[in-house]
Amino acid sequence: MTARNPQTLMALPNEENFDFLFKIVLIGDCGTGKTCIVDRFKTGNYIERHGNTIGVDFSMKTIAVEAKQIKLQIWDTAGQERFRTITQSYYRSANGVLIVYDITKRSSFSNLQKWIEEVRRYTASNVLIILIGNKCDMETEREVDFEEARQMCQYIPEILFVMETSAKENMNVEDAFRCLATELKRQHDANNVEAVDENTITLGQGKPLKSCSSSCNLT
Amino acid sequence: MADDLPEQFDLIVIGTGFTESCIAAAASRVGKTVLHLDSNDYYGNVWGSVGVEDLIRLLASDAVLHSTLRNGSYTWHDESGDTSTSEGDEMKEETGQQWTRETVLAMSRRFCIDLCPRILYSSGELVQLLIQSNICRYTEFRAVDNVCMQQNGNIVSIPCSRSDIFNTKSLTIVEKRLLMKFMNACNDYGEDKCNEDTLAFRGRTFAEYLQAQRVTEKIASCVMQAIAMCGPNTSFEEGMLRTQRFLRSLGRYGNTPFLYPMYGCGEFPQSFCRQCAVYGGIYCLQRSVDDCAVDANSKEVLISSAGTTFRAKHVVSAPRYLPASRDCVMRPHLSRGLFLSSTPLGNEVLNKGGGGVNILRLMEGVREAIFIQLSHFSGACPKGLYLFHVTTPAVSDDPAEDLRPFTMQLFQNSTPEIVFSSYFTLTTQSQPDKVGADDAVFYTDAPSFEMDFYDAIANARDIFGRLYTDVEFLPRAPDVEEIVVDGEDPSALNEHSLPEDLRAQLQDMQQATEQMDIQD
Repeated sequence: MTARNPQTLMALPNEENFDFLFKIVLIGDCGTGKTCIVDRFKTGNYIERHGNTIGVDFSMKTIAVEAKQIKLQIWDTAGQERFRTITQSYYRSANGVLIVYDITKRSSFSNLQKWIEEVRRYTASNVLIILIGNKCDMETEREVDFEEARQMCQYIPEILFVMETSAKENMNVEDAFRCLATELKRQHDANNVEAVDENTITLGQGKPLKSCSSSCNLT
Repeated sequence: MADDLPEQFDLIVIGTGFTESCIAAAASRVGKTVLHLDSNDYYGNVWGSVGVEDLIRLLASDAVLHSTLRNGSYTWHDESGDTSTSEGDEMKEETGQQWTRETVLAMSRRFCIDLCPRILYSSGELVQLLIQSNICRYTEFRAVDNVCMQQNGNIVSIPCSRSDIFNTKSLTIVEKRLLMKFMNACNDYGEDKCNEDTLAFRGRTFAEYLQAQRVTEKIASCVMQAIAMCGPNTSFEEGMLRTQRFLRSLGRYGNTPFLYPMYGCGEFPQSFCRQCAVYGGIYCLQRSVDDCAVDANSKEVLISSAGTTFRAKHVVSAPRYLPASRDCVMRPHLSRGLFLSSTPLGNEVLNKGGGGVNILRLMEGVREAIFIQLSHFSGACPKGLYLFHVTTPAVSDDPAEDLRPFTMQLFQNSTPEIVFSSYFTLTTQSQPDKVGADDAVFYTDAPSFEMDFYDAIANARDIFGRLYTDVEFLPRAPDVEEIVVDGEDPSALNEHSLPEDLRAQLQDMQQATEQMDIQD
């Protein structure tokens, strides 16, 4: 039987080992390039796309940070950000949040406040947030100054840092995830992460019989 | 909607309740284009989970057009506590937080209060459906800690597993043997079609069968109350079915055969909606439907919402969401009681480690009710508070009155410190007039009185089957490793996304190529 990731039930190739697994969710207005960022990070490619990637729920990538293998499970919005109908369950048990705005679109920056409120409302208090200004290759169409974003972060303590990226030109994408992963690992090392309740059950997950408490079938 | 939304869909689903969401996910999964609307700003409708503030808003506004929730009322019980003696206050201080209206409301969002709470059988319909479709990756569960029964006015846990039965002190050796024998007999029932013992009981009641097994009074009440979940009039077949459901769910995840979803049953509609969205379904909340008509030529259903008209081959709607269904007579269907308490119900054994997630089935003559206690372990309420859900089939328009015999049973011997109590009715209604001649518009059923989601899933399957014949209902969604994005690789044609016949062909071809290599 293949090993399964307890959080996601996904079959894990046996040779792949990792020390930590973190769930990262992406949010932000429609068309800010969230999926492109994930693609760039995951595959190294830039794919100009239209609409949603049908059937892709989340992506996985393992990176090495401070000599540890860190597996990132990156969830995309599945288009539900369009009318602000992201389900609460999307945010559940997220360790990190990437809020993405488009530096060439003022409205996507103005809407950040609403996204931050949603994060505050639905995520655990120890969640780490980073702010991403995407499309920084399009300097001529810039509508949001980096300084402005930086100033906003001063007022929102939950935000770890702000960074400008370009999924198209492959600028800072890897760094953004790496910084978040490093910070998550440090937070974990400092034991700030609440212990996972051992009693939580994920369906379809095999468990050795002897580890099950006194339960056994009557038949 | 000034956005570049398409106006043509295969299916428009109205209402994000359990059944509607399930159908939306199933349709989207097999490649249908789906638009999903709800007038509420939250997912789930009467199947959802809400915070305390939202609950109060729902209870106070009886006039919400599309809602099937009626007769809402609520009371805060914290005033008397404020005037209590200083001695009492000191005691409270020792035990931690004192819960008042203010402290509860300040944490309003930490609550996931099910309007329609359910408990799942560990190998029941929904659990199987979630695993089969891979939608289980969106939800986590808590095993129910205790299945309880009432014995001489006390609430006691019933032994579920073989070792429980072996260890329990409440049964004598003889009783233990009888119970084991009885359970084994139930488990084998149906396998041997000409079993003489049970043949005689076809068409009679389960209570009669139980009597004939010569079990003791204690075991009989244990089986009737908690295992077979029967009333005096439940048929033998139904009782057997329920007993088997119980027995077959044992030993899968926890010590009892039941599961409760972390953060409440409202997670299920959300999971189905996420699945629908992942396969391209479009979501709009806070959008009501103004009109629904049928195009005489194309036979398409026209749905007008906020100035836009959408066209769809089919429409599935929850009761009351479509204008045509708003004139229908509403009948009380389920009477619900909901309490927030600062102490759990039952003794320490039932509430190890700060409160159990416990269920208890209450009986009063032929009437019955299901009581569910949720502690912070369920994620549905903050630590130190307990959520009590009581549900019974409605017999009147007064939910508090309907539930009185059951709440009296519950609170007669142990008096939990109730902070907040509320009652409401969930209604059902007659099928509205058909829109147009064709079977293009389908209405889902209101929640029925059941523990699990058997009826709701059957309803969803039935409607889906009438919409699309010979299509698999929620086939397994591939894991992320199995998907290759954007044709970088020819195997991007994912095997699991292919219809059955093509998949077989693909496999045949692969086999053929392998053989060719060997010949070379």
